[in-house]
Amino acid sequence: MIRSIDAYRDIVGAPVIRQLRRLGERLRGIRVVHVNSTAEGGGVAEILAWMVPLMRDLEIDAQWRVIQGTPEFFSVTKAIHNGLQGYPVSITGKDWEIYQEVNQSNAVQLRAELEEADIVVIHDPQPAPLLGMCRNRKGKWIWRAHIDISRPSRPVWKTLRSHVEKYDASIFSMNPFAQLLPHPQFIIAPSIDPLSEKNMELDQDELDAVRGRFGLNPGKPLLVQISRFDRFKDPVGVIKAYHLIRTVIPVQLVLAGGEATDDPEGAAVIGEVREAAGNDPDIHVLLLPSDAHRTINALQRLADIIIQKSTREGFGLTVTEGLWKGKPVIGGDSGGIRLQVIGYNTGFLVNTPEGAARRIRFLLHHRERMSQMGVTAREFVRENFLLTRHLREYLTLMLLLRSGVGEHRIFI
Amino acid sequence: MMKERKGSNMNPFEIKGCVLLIRMSGLPAAFNLRELRDRIASCSADVLYHHFCETPLAPSFDYPDYRNDFAVWIKHKLDDDILAERLGIIDPYSFPSMEKLRVATLDIIDDRLSELTVIPWARPGHEFYFTEASTVVFDTGERVLHPKDLGAAIGAMTTGSIYYHFLEARRRPPRCVDDFSSWLSGFGKAWAPHVRALKQIDFSFYTLAELRTELLKVLKDVKGSNERAGKRAKP
Repeated sequence: MIRSIDAYRDIVGAPVIRQLRRLGERLRGIRVVHVNSTAEGGGVAEILAWMVPLMRDLEIDAQWRVIQGTPEFFSVTKAIHNGLQGYPVSITGKDWEIYQEVNQSNAVQLRAELEEADIVVIHDPQPAPLLGMCRNRKGKWIWRAHIDISRPSRPVWKTLRSHVEKYDASIFSMNPFAQLLPHPQFIIAPSIDPLSEKNMELDQDELDAVRGRFGLNPGKPLLVQISRFDRFKDPVGVIKAYHLIRTVIPVQLVLAGGEATDDPEGAAVIGEVREAAGNDPDIHVLLLPSDAHRTINALQRLADIIIQKSTREGFGLTVTEGLWKGKPVIGGDSGGIRLQVIGYNTGFLVNTPEGAARRIRFLLHHRERMSQMGVTAREFVRENFLLTRHLREYLTLMLLLRSGVGEHRIFI
Repeated sequence: MMKERKGSNMNPFEIKGCVLLIRMSGLPAAFNLRELRDRIASCSADVLYHHFCETPLAPSFDYPDYRNDFAVWIKHKLDDDILAERLGIIDPYSFPSMEKLRVATLDIIDDRLSELTVIPWARPGHEFYFTEASTVVFDTGERVLHPKDLGAAIGAMTTGSIYYHFLEARRRPPRCVDDFSSWLSGFGKAWAPHVRALKQIDFSFYTLAELRTELLKVLKDVKGSNERAGKRAKP
């Protein structure tokens, strides 16, 4: 659904909308082209699906182009992606040739538009070589890394670096994700859309329907972890924590994630989770389709406490979603969860099932405190992690780039 | 850093907006107190300014124990409460320059290092990243024509404008004075109580949103007491 930025006025306040419009005025009419590798599915497409229309609403001529690739190309870029995240991968010279060739054929299609654009934002590694193929470019080029490349496989990063170092600037989601590059590196955290199906307000009837559909007991406190079935999300550790709580307080647990049709490890993890859950009727292991946004929204809203007990995490937008719904979060002490879960304010950071159990018991015994933490959590997200802040930072970056990135302060 | 001089007092108050974008400084992260000290000694003034003064504008949790990033990291990641307390009390706006602030900060850290037998370390993943910010300051086009309208205008300001006019202003001439006080001072004695009240705000304990509320409260309280005094003076 295409929205105007004014749709967010009631959520973030009129001054924030006014500020965005003022910044947008300075960029009115410029052509901004975003390039990524997929039109739907995945976080980048989700971001561009709201960002491009909102930029247009500010009268910026924003465009979104998706590169076309072969299955071989996407196998190579998947390996690059994994290598950048630190997994050992083997990428041959032939693979890099495929990477280059597909970008070359996309450059033929996109060159004229990209060379004329005022700002080009290339998202993630897949289209990174395009800059080198647009020699007559007039505008500023930004490389946006959405993934954690804090400890990349060196050979993979070395090759990719040769493409991205020529950009005018790069953007990373968190400080630790940044790599040393010969241009300014900006930090822009991800965000959530409070009006999306995953985060919008839902009426009680819909919540009740979801509760009924999954056989959840309205009389028992509900703990919810939403994440794919991956060992780094430690779902078995969450079940251990549940057992430690259950000895003292009756609770129910939902572990919900996507169906792991194309991920052999995911299927193995689901098996381990089911085994750990046994026949306990209060543990609900839910495999949801990838578009079950409203169901996830409802489960988060039905929860008393949100858990995200990751041992390794990127930014952790499921934490942001939980906080936005006014729930305290028990989060693993990793990645971006550390930025969001602040002890005694928005939840607790934990390292073990024992730690998680103890903090959850504390919260269940201190209901008033839990409510207060929920209020704080929601305001924290409102101030820092909604798409309006995300858009504002992109506008700021574009203004800085057009004034010369060397400046630390510009007056416009 | 470019300095903007405050406007002459009888002019309308020009509301500026201020947005900030964080960027990496290029300095390596610090894993322990010694490394932190050495990076503070060599970092640019912009880095120092960012970690001491710009934290309220950064997307981060806004109720830290201390207002500067160094004290927060030392408390939470190095577990050195003593040093955190000593650094946490620093008012960066009270120093005439970033260099003086740097010297004072290093003095405190060096003193502490001389007291310690073991250099405190952060766990992997909890290192200190040196960042700086690029800011864009822009004219919102909004003007306040008379002091009586200032409260309403403050109520409608973004936190960026509050930061720019009440905190960042202290670095611009005349130093250590916020833009609101500077402007009100040009309207004579009638507004002196408001200026005094604004000066008494202990801003380091407020988030920007709370600061906006406090500014409104202070201006309203002064107005209320003036009106009460006016009524008493009438026969």
